[in-house]
Amino acid sequence: MKVDRKEAFNTSSVVGNYLNIYFGQEQGVRLGESGVVSLKVHQVVAGRKGQVKILTNRDAGQCLLEFIDPGQVVHLCVFHQPGNIHPREVAKRIFWAIEEYVQQEDPHPSYIEKDTLQNAVDHALRIQVVTCEGKGLVYDLFQGQLEPLDPEDQVVNHVRVLIKVGSDRYGIILPIAAAVEEAIVNAGLELGKVRKIIHTRAKEQEANFSDYVLVPWKQLKNVSSLTLRENRNQLVMRLAARFGSIEEVEEFLSSYSPNIFHRMSKDQQHRKWGNLEENLQQFEELGIIKKTLLGTFLTRDGKELKEFILNHKCELEAEIRRNIRRKPKKSGKIHKLGENIQKVTNIEYVNYNKVKRHNDDTWSGHLAIPQTLMQAKKSSLLRHESRLTIQKEDLQFYEKRHYIPMDVCLLIDASASMAGEKRQAACYLAEHLLLSGREKVAVVTFQEMKARLAVPFTKNQKILSRGLKNVRPGGLTPLADGIITSVEVIRSTRVNNPVLILITDGMPNFPLWSFDAKRDALEAAQKIAELKVRFICIGVESNRDYLKELADCGKGKLYVVDDLNRSNLVDIMDYEKRVAYSS
Amino acid sequence: MKPYFGLARHDGNQPLFNLVEMSIISTLAGEPLHLHAEGLRGTGKTTIMRAARELLPKITRITGCIYNCDPDRPHCPLHRHMSREEIKALGTEEIDMPFLEISHSAKVGTVAGSIDLAKITDTNNPQAALLPGIIPQAHRGIIFIDEINRLADTSPEITDILLDVMGNKPGRLQIEEAGLPTVEITIQVSVWAASNPDEDPGPLEEVRRQLSDRFDMVVYMGRPSSVDVVVRMLEGSDRARREDFDANSFAAKNQEFRQRVREMAETYRVTELPDFLRNFIARVYIKHNLESIRAIEAVQQGAVLYSILKKHKQIMINDVIEMLPLALKHRVDGDTLVKIMNGLESKSSRDSILNIKDRRPSKATKEREEAYFDGGARRLKDMGRQEIIATEKALNPNDF
Ligand SMILES: [Zn+2]
Repeated sequence: MKVDRKEAFNTSSVVGNYLNIYFGQEQGVRLGESGVVSLKVHQVVAGRKGQVKILTNRDAGQCLLEFIDPGQVVHLCVFHQPGNIHPREVAKRIFWAIEEYVQQEDPHPSYIEKDTLQNAVDHALRIQVVTCEGKGLVYDLFQGQLEPLDPEDQVVNHVRVLIKVGSDRYGIILPIAAAVEEAIVNAGLELGKVRKIIHTRAKEQEANFSDYVLVPWKQLKNVSSLTLRENRNQLVMRLAARFGSIEEVEEFLSSYSPNIFHRMSKDQQHRKWGNLEENLQQFEELGIIKKTLLGTFLTRDGKELKEFILNHKCELEAEIRRNIRRKPKKSGKIHKLGENIQKVTNIEYVNYNKVKRHNDDTWSGHLAIPQTLMQAKKSSLLRHESRLTIQKEDLQFYEKRHYIPMDVCLLIDASASMAGEKRQAACYLAEHLLLSGREKVAVVTFQEMKARLAVPFTKNQKILSRGLKNVRPGGLTPLADGIITSVEVIRSTRVNNPVLILITDGMPNFPLWSFDAKRDALEAAQKIAELKVRFICIGVESNRDYLKELADCGKGKLYVVDDLNRSNLVDIMDYEKRVAYSS
Repeated sequence: MKPYFGLARHDGNQPLFNLVEMSIISTLAGEPLHLHAEGLRGTGKTTIMRAARELLPKITRITGCIYNCDPDRPHCPLHRHMSREEIKALGTEEIDMPFLEISHSAKVGTVAGSIDLAKITDTNNPQAALLPGIIPQAHRGIIFIDEINRLADTSPEITDILLDVMGNKPGRLQIEEAGLPTVEITIQVSVWAASNPDEDPGPLEEVRRQLSDRFDMVVYMGRPSSVDVVVRMLEGSDRARREDFDANSFAAKNQEFRQRVREMAETYRVTELPDFLRNFIARVYIKHNLESIRAIEAVQQGAVLYSILKKHKQIMINDVIEMLPLALKHRVDGDTLVKIMNGLESKSSRDSILNIKDRRPSKATKEREEAYFDGGARRLKDMGRQEIIATEKALNPNDF
């Protein structure tokens, strides 16, 4: 019996290791003949007997449990013949299986039983069971609690188990699967045969996500004032991101007031904020606006929202600035090619908060007189001197600190392909750099047939955001003109360690001097090198070769990212600042 | 300065009033509660915190001990090794619970401790001795730091000290002075901080995230939410002005509160969070993948204190919900916070029970009739080790 257990445990561990490998490759597998396990959402294919789809772009934890990070939750489905099975029955068997497993995990004799139980309970709090009868955490089910199914829980003819467990403990999955099978068989149901699994991508719900305001906000009836306040607050944050500023959110809401002087035609709205179709539908669902025979108006909730914005404008604007200062957490794949060789100069200042002992022979620096006197007095006493003397080792100096100011000129591709999230990310980077550092920021955009100085070098956030508001992607990619304009801006302004950052997702297709747009841009890049400006290109894989050439011409470096999103851009600049600092 | 009970309260600053009162109770009970009020200029955060000084109760210490030794638990270098009798012989005294400030330009020596200047410059009997700084002197009391974001930016050394002091409950402090033996003591202080995240160097969490996470609770100070509230505030301040002539009425209120603090601290010492709420909070933590275990501890500590302060008969789920934004807003993003709060709301509302009735029989029954899978699959326990896992490729080799 003992040997059996040991062997079962070993098998579980081996299976766990394999699962770790497959999951790492974004794959799911069939476990036994009736189970499917992965980190993704599973779908049964109607009309195709025995087939299960694994949706590789739908993380199970994120989609089914609203987890924030992907890869946290293992998704196990065990299929059975039509019939009812109570989740409590499943939960019980799972709990026993876990208990058995954790015991084997640490079979040390001194291992106290209480700890095993605690360990098992800990797991039980992290495992959810869903059957057609209801759902709940193993722990709760075990204690007789049961939650009803949500309409999203399409659990027909299978038992779903969601397990929050680290990849080092996947060994627990096999015993859980076996326990589920046992529960199914005990309920008098046959196990269903999975004949085929297919990895596929689910269709993206929205073709263009960028204009869609994503809010966890639902219509809230009878909720506490606290919850309502947080919801409103977050909704305003999202709206401000969509419309550009609090003022514009206000203007938008006012355009639905009964006051005809504030109302706007669809056309006027479109010119100002682009396509609002999807948003309007969403706002209607949220209960902010309603359509009537006389036109669209704010609902009571909508009016209250407007009131809220009016009364809290200062705080809301401050919170937006706060969010811009924040460093995004997750970042994607970034490749760096090349190095900058330009020298940087730093600014030194004295830190009166910290003194250090004199430790070199240059005798330079700012002598900290009070600290030196105190030290001398103390030392004299400890040296048993009868009167105060100052020795060399008593000398204290203020510490010197330095930082490297880097004034940034952002050269943003504003051709049509940059519309949406990419544009927003580039603008975000500009604001983030300005709000989180002490440096000046300028923005040059290039689109249609020429480049434009959108924002001259400034430290003023209002000037910057006003300039960015007018960045509306469209048209061609006149890169050469963009580079030349930026070089001129840098040359004509007093700046510290200027950096020129190019953000583009395409290839130049509008020339400046000749008929060859690409050649012109390379030539323009040489001017960057002549001016000894640090040059950084940020682009995507598809234009890698050309941008490498461009970076080389400008004696700069290239970053290739998987996506031109906020976190990637901010990450790159963070890294750049650190590198400059340590050089 | 305006008396604490004369300050106007509204929905934007009420949480801070609650928190300072909760922190005083907790501090007296021996468990610090660290607060951080963030807000724009003019939101009254420092006014409220400084005014709360009036509410502080008395504590008992060994007579003359500058480290505020509790006669029952002496901790300072001078008293910690003494016997009960020796301590008794020294006698005790009552002092106001300490309330000391650290300015954003403070030096390490002032904060932690340094050589005692008075003693070393004594012409008759010069001595090299340690003078405990602000933190050790505030033991069993409160430290107030205005503009903590600037302090964290300009003085990483003091920040490190605060991280230790606030790292555990109780925290630790090392006092170092060249030539003298290092002193290490335990410290029990509640740190109250204030800052304006919109001014240089920006929000504390961007300057030093670790320090920001050390605060159990953070209040985003707000302004009154509607005109009605402002009108009521003005009325109130009118009344307050009239009552100013009668300073006695405020003194009486302070006295009454100080008395209540003692009772509430006693209640706090013996109150446990019910198991179901503990599990409830643990599940929020797991489901939303929160990183900071401190956040959960803060919610637990806060919920108990809040229910005691508000004289609730027992601790309710609403006490927990009330604490969530305070404990989480500086630790998670806005979406997550709203998701968490909305999730709790639906759980506590009655309609989830009603939902079972109209939801259950719809889709499921319709599709249950159809069998997607053939029965008769073998069980895992009947399969060999090599057969257990099958990949897509292995199941349908023809597709590859
Ligand atoms: Zn003492």
